[in-house]
Amino acid sequence: MRDDELHAEVQDWLAANWSPDIDLAQWAHAVFEAGWSAPSWEPEWYGRALTAAQSRLVTDEFTAIGAPGCGHDRENFFACTVHDVGTVEQKRRLLPPTLHGPTQTQWCLLYSEPGAGSDLAGLRTRAERDGDDWVINGQKVWTSFAAIAEYGLLVARTDWDVPKHKGLSFFVLPMRQTAVEVRPIHQITGESEFNEVFLTDARVPGNNLLGEVNAGWSVLQIALGHERRFMSGRGFASKENKVLEPDQDDDLVELARATGGLGDPYIRQQIARIEALAAVNRWNTQRAKDTTDSNEAATLLGLGKIAMSRILHETARAKTEIIGAEAMLAGPDNPVGDGVTFQAFNAYLTSIGGGTDQILRNIIGERILVLPKEPEPYRHTPFRDLPH
Amino acid sequence: MTHNNSGNSDELRALRSAVRAAMAKYSPETQVRDLMAAETGFDPVVWKQLAVLGLVGLLIGEEYGGAGAGPIAMGIAMEEMGGALLVSPFLSTAVLVPRLLAATADEAERAAMLPKIAAGELIATAAFAEQRSARPPVTIATTATADGEGWSIAGEKHFVLDGNAAAVIYVLARAEGGPAVFAVDADAAGLDVKSLATVDQTRKQCRVRFADTPARLIGQLGTGMEVFEAALDACAVAFISEQAGAARRAVEMATEYAKTRYQFGRAIGSFQAVKHMCADMLLEAESALSAARFIAKQFADHAPSRIADLALAQAYCADAFVFVAATNIQVHGGIGFTWEHPAHLYLRRARSSAQLLGSPSWHRERYMQEIGGTT
Repeated sequence: MRDDELHAEVQDWLAANWSPDIDLAQWAHAVFEAGWSAPSWEPEWYGRALTAAQSRLVTDEFTAIGAPGCGHDRENFFACTVHDVGTVEQKRRLLPPTLHGPTQTQWCLLYSEPGAGSDLAGLRTRAERDGDDWVINGQKVWTSFAAIAEYGLLVARTDWDVPKHKGLSFFVLPMRQTAVEVRPIHQITGESEFNEVFLTDARVPGNNLLGEVNAGWSVLQIALGHERRFMSGRGFASKENKVLEPDQDDDLVELARATGGLGDPYIRQQIARIEALAAVNRWNTQRAKDTTDSNEAATLLGLGKIAMSRILHETARAKTEIIGAEAMLAGPDNPVGDGVTFQAFNAYLTSIGGGTDQILRNIIGERILVLPKEPEPYRHTPFRDLPH
Repeated sequence: MTHNNSGNSDELRALRSAVRAAMAKYSPETQVRDLMAAETGFDPVVWKQLAVLGLVGLLIGEEYGGAGAGPIAMGIAMEEMGGALLVSPFLSTAVLVPRLLAATADEAERAAMLPKIAAGELIATAAFAEQRSARPPVTIATTATADGEGWSIAGEKHFVLDGNAAAVIYVLARAEGGPAVFAVDADAAGLDVKSLATVDQTRKQCRVRFADTPARLIGQLGTGMEVFEAALDACAVAFISEQAGAARRAVEMATEYAKTRYQFGRAIGSFQAVKHMCADMLLEAESALSAARFIAKQFADHAPSRIADLALAQAYCADAFVFVAATNIQVHGGIGFTWEHPAHLYLRRARSSAQLLGSPSWHRERYMQEIGGTT
């Protein structure tokens, strides 16, 4: 299908179906039935077999009129992972509910643990068979939306007598059971977007194992790939939507004009520097979309997250210089200072969350530049024998 | 070989392969070093080959014997030339002068000169900077006075690319009717060309003095500043591709070395301290490439925002190339501090390129003015 035909079809469909006061559940169902929820997926998996670029066009049309419900094939990495890895039965059972849900988030991520952050493969949450089910015990951390999620994507240890990467399995954990306890984390921004999740004899039905037993690490790589690609495109939004996507609404020139600093040559240089960082990130993304060379695209996408991290930190730094002493003040009486401090602190979401900048640089070095890995003295050591 | 503006991808791939092969043949490190030591940095045999390949006439219209290609094809050629640190009057003769003559719209001059340039028979350059700035001066000190049928130039130009190899120099001078472009032949009376000692010996620069030197008016009186601004912008589109291509090559040098240099019983690239430097270099070099290619497309399409985008890209590519070339030396350690190793040649090229068409901070200020960032 040509892009102009697609544009026309989406616009016609939206004109016939969307209205701002439509019931959102009814709307989500209509979007799903029409195949717009995840347009790049195969028709048998609720999509329209469009290219990734065309899927983005569809999202743009939805966004332009304020209609939700499109773009799950990029932004819903729960659904993306199930789509990539799940069995036919799992896809039939798990995909439709999550693609229906434009108004609520129905899933969360149960990866990190207090003792397993950058070294995620060192996690100690235990999964043991009990009949057809799995029984889960352990503690997870940095989980967004844990209190409202229907499912958690869970990585747990199923074999302690093999090296750490080889004894992990990937599960879809039903969150609404008493054995799952959620406690909010009070963050440096003052928000509580993340939670700790305590799992005490929590149960996972056997048909919610995603991939093979002990093959969880490779499933996790697929899930993390979706997450990092998503984050490089837009940074990390907060639940209060205080953070702006850096290439929109984040007008340093207007901030400097408003605070009287626009005539300062130093400030002007800082502004242009930040705008260049944001511009080249857009140009990298554009080049990744345009190229037919998959290596080139993978390289550019692999660089996206550290690029975004720098943009967010540097934007907050420049804004701090622009507003000056106001940066000492907080609260609703001082919205400018409050917002800038929030951005400065919230930038760590992107430079730590989803893999720290340092871990990302290791990945870039090893996977893109093919530099040798660090020596791994415990490569062949059973997990239970590792020092900790 | 023709190369259209739309950038047919098979044609462009063929162009890249052809230029890469030509660089491997004509610009190995030994040749680069020989020409660094030479005064003019101009090898007539190689130049003829570049002309035969269609590269010297890439931007020149087919009606003048060129390939009639646009900024996208030129960007690809410049990436490859930058990677090889080609020493030649390419930037002046094959990029700046054709762009300048196009901006003057002087058909007689174009018909007389462009076929010779495309054929590799004429080296030409442009002289605009005076005193301390590499940009055209706000107030031009060099004067042009009507002298019978022709004109007479008096003054001094600085940072003139390939001034000692050029048979013709196009000079920005101020006449009573306003600034204009004047052509001066290399053998004209009262012309004094002095080679400058440059940090980057792969790019030759000169100081040029005119003492009542006879000249021809090119184009219209009063248009000189606009003509030069347009020519320098069009030239910059190609120039940032050269910077990006050279930066990409420096990343390759660093990563190749990090894989083969062993210390503490390990390849140094296995240490995170080194690996992270390489990752940061890759981000800068790839971003510079994306910027250069985006800008080439913007100019091919005459996009309305192209000047503001170019200003950002010039600042970014200059800084990126300096960062990558400098970090490359650090990754190499002691061997990178020796004259014999080529790492410093890239840093010299990078530092010089970051000034040649204006400094990064000059371009950032230009960006601010372009987007209406005034108080």
